[in-house]
Amino acid sequence: MATTALSPTTESYRRSWVLEWLTTVDHKKIGVLYIVNSFLFFFAAGILALVVRSELAVPGLQFLDERTFNQAFTMHGTIMIFLFVVPVLSGFANYIVPLQLGAPDMAFPRINALSFWFLPVGGLLIFSGYLFGGAAAEGWTGYAPLSNYSSGVGTDLWLIGLLLVGVASILGAVNLIATIFKMRAPGMTLFRMPILVWTVLVTATLILLATPVLAAGMIALFIDRNYGGSFFDPNAGGNPVLWQHLFWFFGHPEVYIVILPAMGVVSEILPVFTRRPLFGYRAFVFATIAIGFLSFSVWAHHMFTTGQVFLPFFTFMTVLIAVPTGVKMFNWMATLWRGSITFATPMLFALGFLSMFLIGGISGVMLAAPPIDFHLQDTYFVVAHLHYVFFGGSVFGVFAATYYWFPKMTGRRLNERLGKVHFWLHFIGFNLAFFPMHMLGIQGMPRRVSDYAPDAGWTLWNLASTAGAFMIAVSVLPFLVNVAATFINGEKVGDDPWEGNTLEWATSSPPPPHNFDKLPPIRSERPVFDLRHRHDAEHLAADVTVSEGGHS
Amino acid sequence: MRAADEALPISHREAGLPTPLVGMLLFIASEVMFFGGLFAAYFNARAVSFGEWGPPAGAPELEILPIALPITLILVASSFTMQFGVWAIRRGDQRAMRNWTLLTLVLGVTFLLGQVYDYTTLGFGLSDGSFGTVFYTLTGFHGAHVFGGAVGLTILVARARQGQFSRQNHVAVEAISIYWHFVDVVWIALFSTLYFLR
Amino acid sequence: MVPPEPHTNEAKEVFWLYNVVLVMGGIVFVAVEGFIVYSIIRYRRRDDRLPTQVHGNNLVELIWTAIPTVIVMILFVLSTITLNSISARATTPGVTIEVEGRQFEWIFHYLDSDTDPANDVRVTSSFIEPGTMGLPVGEPVRLILVSRDVIHSFFVPAFLVKRDVIPTGDRPPNELEFTVSEAGTYAGQCAEFCGDLHARMTFSVQAMSRADFDAWIAAIRAGATPAPSAPAGSAVLKIAADNTAFDTRGLTAAADEPFTIEFNNQEALSHNVAIYKGSEPLFNGEFFKGPGTISYVVQALPAGEYIFICDVHPVPDMTGTLTVE
Repeated sequence: MATTALSPTTESYRRSWVLEWLTTVDHKKIGVLYIVNSFLFFFAAGILALVVRSELAVPGLQFLDERTFNQAFTMHGTIMIFLFVVPVLSGFANYIVPLQLGAPDMAFPRINALSFWFLPVGGLLIFSGYLFGGAAAEGWTGYAPLSNYSSGVGTDLWLIGLLLVGVASILGAVNLIATIFKMRAPGMTLFRMPILVWTVLVTATLILLATPVLAAGMIALFIDRNYGGSFFDPNAGGNPVLWQHLFWFFGHPEVYIVILPAMGVVSEILPVFTRRPLFGYRAFVFATIAIGFLSFSVWAHHMFTTGQVFLPFFTFMTVLIAVPTGVKMFNWMATLWRGSITFATPMLFALGFLSMFLIGGISGVMLAAPPIDFHLQDTYFVVAHLHYVFFGGSVFGVFAATYYWFPKMTGRRLNERLGKVHFWLHFIGFNLAFFPMHMLGIQGMPRRVSDYAPDAGWTLWNLASTAGAFMIAVSVLPFLVNVAATFINGEKVGDDPWEGNTLEWATSSPPPPHNFDKLPPIRSERPVFDLRHRHDAEHLAADVTVSEGGHS
Repeated sequence: MRAADEALPISHREAGLPTPLVGMLLFIASEVMFFGGLFAAYFNARAVSFGEWGPPAGAPELEILPIALPITLILVASSFTMQFGVWAIRRGDQRAMRNWTLLTLVLGVTFLLGQVYDYTTLGFGLSDGSFGTVFYTLTGFHGAHVFGGAVGLTILVARARQGQFSRQNHVAVEAISIYWHFVDVVWIALFSTLYFLR
Repeated sequence: MVPPEPHTNEAKEVFWLYNVVLVMGGIVFVAVEGFIVYSIIRYRRRDDRLPTQVHGNNLVELIWTAIPTVIVMILFVLSTITLNSISARATTPGVTIEVEGRQFEWIFHYLDSDTDPANDVRVTSSFIEPGTMGLPVGEPVRLILVSRDVIHSFFVPAFLVKRDVIPTGDRPPNELEFTVSEAGTYAGQCAEFCGDLHARMTFSVQAMSRADFDAWIAAIRAGATPAPSAPAGSAVLKIAADNTAFDTRGLTAAADEPFTIEFNNQEALSHNVAIYKGSEPLFNGEFFKGPGTISYVVQALPAGEYIFICDVHPVPDMTGTLTVE
C-alpha cells in the first residue's frame, strides 16, 4: 500500500558520481559512506584478529615477534571499536533516523558530511603508525605510564587519529540530538518515536558527554609524551591511575554507546517479524534512559584490581545497571510470546543477539563482584565477556540491520539462502571462537599475551578458539557474495518488503532525495502498521486523514 | 523576506529554540565535559600531591595582581558587552550590535594578550612538574577556546558590516554569544580554582 | 567452568562466591534461553491472522523490575561480605615481602627485622632464569607491590587473586595479604600488559612448612655469591643502544679477569647486555630502561669468542661478538 508517489530523482545538473559521493550532504549517502567505510575497517581489524589467533593457536612463537603481536591486538581493538562498530551504527542512525522521524534530512547536513570524512582520515592516521616505526602497541586502553614511555610516533599517531574520530563522533551526536528534537514530523510526539530513535538519542547523549573526557585524557597523554608534561608519569609527580579514571569514565559509557543502537535495531526487527508491537514501549524507553544515567556511575569496575577505588559504590552501581538491561530482555521475550514468528535473516541475527547478549550480560554480572573480579580481571574471561557483548551483541545487531535495511537502501533484497548460510556459519564460528575463552580465563590465562606455557593445559581451548575465528572469517564470504550478487541481479522490492511498522517503509526503496512526498498520519509508534490496518476494527483511529505535502 | 515571514500562519513558524541554538547548546555541553576532564586531572593531581601543591620551588606563588584579576574583569566585562550586542540586534539595531560585538572582540583579545604576558612572568613551565602541567593545560585550552570565540566574533562583525542581521534573522549572534558566555563561565571557575581554592 | 583448586584461605571464600554466582547465572541462562527457544518454536507463523496486539502491562513491568533488583542486591551483599572477609589484614604477618615488578622480571625482596640490607634475601624471576618465591604455609603473607617503571599485576591463579603493581612514585604502594593453605608449587605471571615481553614475565610460588621455609631462606643467604667486583684499573667496555640497536658489533675484553660494561641506554625502552657462549648464558645483565647508564660487572671469562646480545630484543642490530683475549 504505497503512500508515496515514486518521484524521479531530480537533478538540476549532471555531476560525476565520484564528485557526488565526495561532496554529498544527503544523510542517506553519508549513511552509506559510513557503513561501507566501517566494513572496510572491519575486514582490516578482522585480519588482525586472525593474525593474533593464528599465533595463539599453539604454544610457542610461531611466526610473530612479541612487538608485532602487541601491535596487532592493539590495532584490532582500537579499529574494531572506534572505526567499525561505533561508526557503522552511526551510519545506520544517519540513514534511518531522519526517515523514521519523517524528516527530509539531518539538522546540520554539512556538519554531517564533515563528521564522516574525519573517519577515514583518523583511521588511516592510526594505521599509519605501521609506516613510521611501528603502530601503537599498548592495548586499545593505552594505560599509562606504559603509553607515556613507548618510543616512536605510533602512539602519537594513535592519539591524534582517535582525537579526530572523537571530534567526528561528538559532532555527529550534536546532529542526531538536534534532528530528533527539532525535526520530527507533525504528530510524532516523543513517545511515538520509534524505539531505534530513542536508543540513538540516549546513545548520542552518551557520546556527547563521555567522549570529551577521553579527548581530555588523550590530550594529556600527548602532552606528557611530547611536551614534558606530568599528568601520568610517576617519576615527575604524575598519577598513572588518573589515566584509567579518565579513560574508563569515557570507556564505560562507550560500551553502552556500542550496544544501545544495536538494541534499538533488535527492537525494530522483533515487532516486524513477530507481528506484535514491542511489549512495554514506555518501560523500554525508561530502561534505556536509566542505562544512560547509570552508565556514568560504574566506570571504576574496570579498575577493581588497582586497589585505589571505592569498591562498594562501584559494585552497587554495576549490579544495579543489570536491572534495566534485564527489563529490556524481558520486554523482548514478551514480544515473542504469542507472536506470529517468521525467520528471515534479519530475525535470525536479532534472535542470535538475544542469546549471545544474554551470555555476555551474565559474565558481566559475574565480573561485577570484586572478589571474583580479582581472579578474572585481565584474563581471557574478560576477553570472552567483551566479545559476547560487542560481537555477539552489537555485531549481530549490525548484521541484522544490514539485512533488514539493505532493501530500503538499494531497492533489492539480499538472498535469503545465502543469508542463512552466513548466519549459521557466523553463529557457530562465534561461539566456537569465544566460549572457550571463558574457560581459559577462569583457569588463569592472562590477556594480551603473545604466548603461553605448553604445560598450562590451555592449548586445546586456544586451538578451538582459533578454529572458530577462521570460521567467522569464512562466514563473511557468503555475505560478500550475497551483497555483490544482489547488486547485480537481486530481487527487487517496493516500499515495504517486510511489512514494517515505521516511516522509512512509507517511501520508496531507495527513498527520493527529500525522503517523503507524503506522510501517513502519525498516531502511535507504528504509523505504517496503523495505515496498513486502518480498516481493522481494532485500529480505527479518531482521525485518519493523510497529510498532504509532507513537511518536517 | 521579512514581511513574508510575518505573514505566515503560526503553525509554520519554528517552535521552541531555533535549531542552530540547539546545536550550539549541545556543543557547549560537550565542552563542559571536556573541561570537566581537565579539571578532574587538576583535582586528582592536587589530591595526590601530599599538601605540596603549587608552583614549583623557585617560582613565586600565584597572585591575582597585577594581571590575573584585571584580565578576569576584562573578560567578564566582555560578556556584558556581548549581551548588549545581542539585545541591540533583538531590537533590530544592527549598527549597535556590530559596535558592541567589536568591543567584545577587543576585550577578548586583550584578555588573551594579558594571559600570554602572565605566562612570561610566572617562572615555571608546562614541564615543571604536576602543577605546571595542569596549570598550563587548563589555562592554555581555555585560551584556545577564547581564541575560537574571537574568530566567531570577527565573523559576526564582518557579517554585520554586510548587513546580514535583522530582528528576525540573527541566530548566529545568539549562538556565538552563548558560546562567549560559556567561555567566560569556564574562566571564572578556573580563576577561582587556581587563585582562590589553590 | 570453575576456577583452579583454591590454595589460600581467601581463595576458598572466593571460590564459594564464584560457584554461587555461576549457579545463579546458569539458572538465568537456562530460564531465559529456554523461554526464547520455546517461544520461537511454539509461536512460528502458521497463518495470516494478526496475533493479539499487547502493548504492555505495568504490573508485569513492576514485577520484573523488582525481582531482579532484589536478586542483584543479594549479589551485592554476598560480594561485600566476601570482600570484607578476604581483605582483612593481619596484625603480624608471618612474612613480609617487597615484590618488585620490573620490565620483565620479578624481584622478591624478603624484608626482615634487621637493618642491614646487605644480608637481605632477594630472589629474581625472569624468563631467562625463572625464580621461586618461597612462602610459609598457614601464616599471613604480606606483599608490598612496588614498581619503578610501568603498571604490572601480581597474579597467581591458584590463589584466585591479583593486585596491580603500580609505580606510585613517593606515594604508598599497593599491598596484598593472604594465607596459603596447602603446600605446593603454584604458577604466577604478570597480568597487566606491560610491554614487549609481558607474556614472559612469569614466576612461581612455593609454599612450604615454616621449618622448610626457614631452611630455604637460610640456604639462599648462605649460598649467595657476592657480586663480582672489578679490580681497580680493569677495563671498562662502553656500549650504547638507541632505536633498538647497539652502537657497536664488536667488543674486546681481557681474559681471566672481571671487567665492567658501561651500558648507555639512550632510549626509554628496556634493554640489557647479555653474554652467551653458543646458546649457553654466561652473563645476563639486569634489564634497564633509559635514558641512562648502568654498569655491569662481568665475571672473569676464559679466552675465546662470545656473543653479546640484548635479551629483550635478540635482533641482528642488537647482537655482536665479544672477543676475550
